Amino acid sequence: MGYAIRTEKLVKQYKDKTAVDGLTLTVNEGELIALLGVNGAGKTTTVKMLTCLTKPTDGKAEIMGHDIMKEPDEVKRLVGVSPQDTSVAENLTVKENLEFMAGLYLSKDKADSAVARTIKAFGLEEFSGKKAKLLSGGWKRKLSIAMAIIGEPKVLFLDEPTLGLDVLARRQLWREIEALKKDMTIVLTTHYMEEAQALADRIVIMSEGKVYAVGTLAELEKMTGKKGLEDVFVSIVERME
Amino acid sequence: MKNTMVFAKRNLLEVFRDPLSWIFCIAFPIVMLVIMSIVNSAIPKEGMTLFRIDNLAGGIAIFGQMFVMLFTAIAVAKDRSGAFLTRLYSSPMKSSNFVFGYILPMLLTAVIQVIVSLIAAVVISFISDYSLSIGGLLFTVVAVIPSALMFSAIGFLFGALFNEKAAPGICSIIISLGAMVGGIWFDVEGVGGFMYKIGRCLPFLYATKLARAAITLDFGVKEFLIPLGVVVFAAIVLTVLASIVFNSKMRADQR
Repeated sequence: MGYAIRTEKLVKQYKDKTAVDGLTLTVNEGELIALLGVNGAGKTTTVKMLTCLTKPTDGKAEIMGHDIMKEPDEVKRLVGVSPQDTSVAENLTVKENLEFMAGLYLSKDKADSAVARTIKAFGLEEFSGKKAKLLSGGWKRKLSIAMAIIGEPKVLFLDEPTLGLDVLARRQLWREIEALKKDMTIVLTTHYMEEAQALADRIVIMSEGKVYAVGTLAELEKMTGKKGLEDVFVSIVERME
Repeated sequence: MKNTMVFAKRNLLEVFRDPLSWIFCIAFPIVMLVIMSIVNSAIPKEGMTLFRIDNLAGGIAIFGQMFVMLFTAIAVAKDRSGAFLTRLYSSPMKSSNFVFGYILPMLLTAVIQVIVSLIAAVVISFISDYSLSIGGLLFTVVAVIPSALMFSAIGFLFGALFNEKAAPGICSIIISLGAMVGGIWFDVEGVGGFMYKIGRCLPFLYATKLARAAITLDFGVKEFLIPLGVVVFAAIVLTVLASIVFNSKMRADQR
């Protein structure tokens, strides 16, 4: 199994702030990795760089072997993104939103079947004719993720996918994300410990743009001598700061 | 090309499903057409031809296109303020897909709006017993396409430059200014002076003249050819300028 993502000393510098500071990371194909950190840790900036939404100041990164700086068009065909804010076309129905995204990535024949398949997979049948602006927060977030995967990406980026959702909607969305794991590599950013613990194969602990630790929960617990991700996280961040 | 059409379809649906588009792009120009025709019927006919239906229809067609400018600006500014464009920036869409994907549906909206306004003008002409040339009306639909492009490009430019709150306000100023110096509601050439000087420096007066000349099939140099040249030139320059500004904003977002 090869690498889906490989970054080497990736840096994003804004005027007087280093948002990401020398990120070196590899993500295996088929892996779900969680970028865990408090607000301002550099998680979203990392996702933006890896999806060609913002250019790194320094360093190197590849998605499925394609350089994000030299081959952005190739990279854009390989990735799907569900941004932090719900990004759907409000006046379009659920089905039309999916048709729109499918139309950008797939041929007409493939797009039609992908729309039908995605509506079924995400349980959106009941809402397919409903305008996106009339959906609840949870269903909008579901639609946003469905729009990100409809182009059949190799790597899916979910930026804080459950932010602001109630516990039931969050659990439901976890099940959807779990189901996607077998088909693609997933990078999930979150500041919910239980979310990272429940979904991730490996956890990347970030703070102030730096990676403080990477590993499975068991590895991180062994490293810190603490039990549970919350204590592990606090222990690592306090020790490094 | 495929991605342009996919994006254009999305934008067209967004515009058609917004009730304000119908009110401002279709209903409002028709209401103005009816009101001005009533005004025309109440004033002495001699020497006052501005509100006669052949003059009014051309002016109203351009007035309606100004609202297409407003809706283009709102659509672009609204997309820029939300995360929807963020998603699209990371998709295989190119900058040309964005530019034409925004402008094409607005161009179509403008053409539909002109057709509806001219149909209303025909109905009013029957009532007011003034005959309009059907050939002239059909030709007008084609002749005002450059001004439709020009207004869509201005809207695109303002949508790219300003945020969701500022863009509609600035477009409203342009609509008021354009209607005045564009000679839609009064004879700006006849008024002369400062107003006419400003009018001659902006493309709105030429757009109105072009529409009025097309309705009467007047192909004179001063009445048709010069206004056509000015409007086509303005449409091309503004479309290129709007594309450059949008692309630079896209690049700035990715810094």
